[in-house]
Amino acid sequence: MSVYVASILTNMALISFLALSAYLVLVVGVVSFGQQAFFGVGAYVTATVTSIYGGHAVTGVFIGMLSGAACALVLAILTVRLSGLYFAISTLCFAELCRLGLLQVRAPFDIDGRTTGPDGPEGFSNIRWIFEHNYSVQDFLVLTTVCLVALLGLLFLLERSRIMLRARLVGQDSILAQSLGLRPILYRIVFVTLSGGVAGFGGGLFALFNTYIEPNMFGVMLGVHGLAYAVIGGLGAPIGPLIGVAIDIGLLESIRAISAYRMIAFGGLVALLLILLPQGLISPRFVARMRRWRKLFHV
Amino acid sequence: MLRLSNLSKYFGGVRAVDALELNVKTGEIFGLIGPNGSGKSTTVNLVCGIFGPTSGSIELDGVDLKRQAPHQRIDAGVSRTFQNIRLFDDLTVWQNLWVAWRDAPGQEHSWFSNWFGRSLSRRHEIQKLLEFSGLGDKSNNLAGNLAFGEQRRLELARAMASKPKLILLDEPAAGMSSAEVTDLRQRILTMKEMGITVLLIEHVMELVMNVSDRIGVLNFGTLIAEGLPEEIQNNPLVQKAYFGSSENTSGGDTNAIDQ
Ligand SMILES: Nc1ncnc2c1ncn2[C@@H]1O[C@H](COP(=O)(O)OP(=O)(O)O)[C@@H](O)[C@H]1O
Ligand SMILES: [Mg+2]
Repeated sequence: MSVYVASILTNMALISFLALSAYLVLVVGVVSFGQQAFFGVGAYVTATVTSIYGGHAVTGVFIGMLSGAACALVLAILTVRLSGLYFAISTLCFAELCRLGLLQVRAPFDIDGRTTGPDGPEGFSNIRWIFEHNYSVQDFLVLTTVCLVALLGLLFLLERSRIMLRARLVGQDSILAQSLGLRPILYRIVFVTLSGGVAGFGGGLFALFNTYIEPNMFGVMLGVHGLAYAVIGGLGAPIGPLIGVAIDIGLLESIRAISAYRMIAFGGLVALLLILLPQGLISPRFVARMRRWRKLFHV
Repeated sequence: MLRLSNLSKYFGGVRAVDALELNVKTGEIFGLIGPNGSGKSTTVNLVCGIFGPTSGSIELDGVDLKRQAPHQRIDAGVSRTFQNIRLFDDLTVWQNLWVAWRDAPGQEHSWFSNWFGRSLSRRHEIQKLLEFSGLGDKSNNLAGNLAFGEQRRLELARAMASKPKLILLDEPAAGMSSAEVTDLRQRILTMKEMGITVLLIEHVMELVMNVSDRIGVLNFGTLIAEGLPEEIQNNPLVQKAYFGSSENTSGGDTNAIDQ
């Protein structure tokens, strides 16, 4: 497999983490335009742990994930009283604050004659862990894919749980959920926190793979893409957001003829899909039907 | 059991519930009737904590519910159905009960069963409730695909799944055929036999007059009369407010459907 193909696939896997994190928030019935912040925080923390403190990549990504989750928890707690629209706006503000904050952090380090560490708009360069440990792009693709599959496995178990059913109930009809004794706010806090962890994890891997990150990589457009993937993929199953990613990056990027117009093509595609299938490709109803057919035929 | 004192809820200038005094006794079926817009659904929402009251108090067995969040009121044993059917359409009938299920005290299940719902004893219990509701063979159907009457029965079953002491039924017979109403009446009586207190909000006189132990009449958010079904039926004040002084107070012809 060529390096070009492997790096496109890796990028698809990495953005899938962002799309899945947007999915986890959408499930409880709110929209977040701020998932890129958790992705960025995960990336910066992982870069710091591995490049400045010489930590192992696993440690780095793990701490990156916890940092993403912690930021998300803070955001979720600060916004408990906000309803849908105001929650969405505040996630956007929060993410922009994080980005602007990172632009102010200037703490370059000199390690083995190379400059690393966060340096405001200049970014964080020389995140060399995968070079130093001789990982090729293809190796990293395998690693990222394994992580993604593991996450999907966990989400699959979550999907079968009553917690997830209840979270979806909260998302669809919070009055009904309350009348059944559920606390919508609690579900929102838990799922937003989980989403922060997932985004932070993906961001950590992204930092390792990219070897260079800067605050402006984690702007609104990144979050909007993650969100769009989850929305067009549908909220029926975690595979939905991945299909969204595949459509955008896999299809549009690989067709060279339209790559110059990709943003236009993608925007048009999102609009078209949402008109035809407002619930996304893999909608809850679609999944319910599939389950039912499977039951009927005892497959 | 349930005592509402001086309870009010204003929406802007609209006095949906206005200084309401209501006392439901343990084990009885209390019918609450009143014209459309008289504040019946708002009363249910106040008891369940969906709305906070403008003033007044709500007590359940002497415990003040006013400061409690909706989920704490469910813990305290309150359960309800909705005037407009609210189900989880994309879930199966069985799953609709599972999300609402609460173990009876002393019957708690393992974390595995709570997570996946696979334990046999819980499956058995939920199935039993489905049989009771006449949905025994529909457990794998999607709730959204059920017939109207079946959806009503599923709502009723779901309200029982949390093991309530007090159940609030908001117009459970609206839109039902008279055979279905007879069936519903039987179910409500069975609930009473099980020791559940019922607050029945209903427009269908045929049901409410036959099943209630006592009836209260709401008009403009206040109770204008209270008493045994016969007394209410013959109360001229009630006939004036509720039936527009029509003589015909029995029969299902007042089966109004609002909203
Ligand atoms: N959420 C709300 N916001 C504003 N007004 C409301 C709301 N809910 C009910 N009302 C008003 O309160 C009054 C009582 O309504 P409701 O309790 O639904 O009556 P009923 O169930 O007896 O038909 C009506 O005038 C209605 O318009
Ligand atoms: Mg009503």
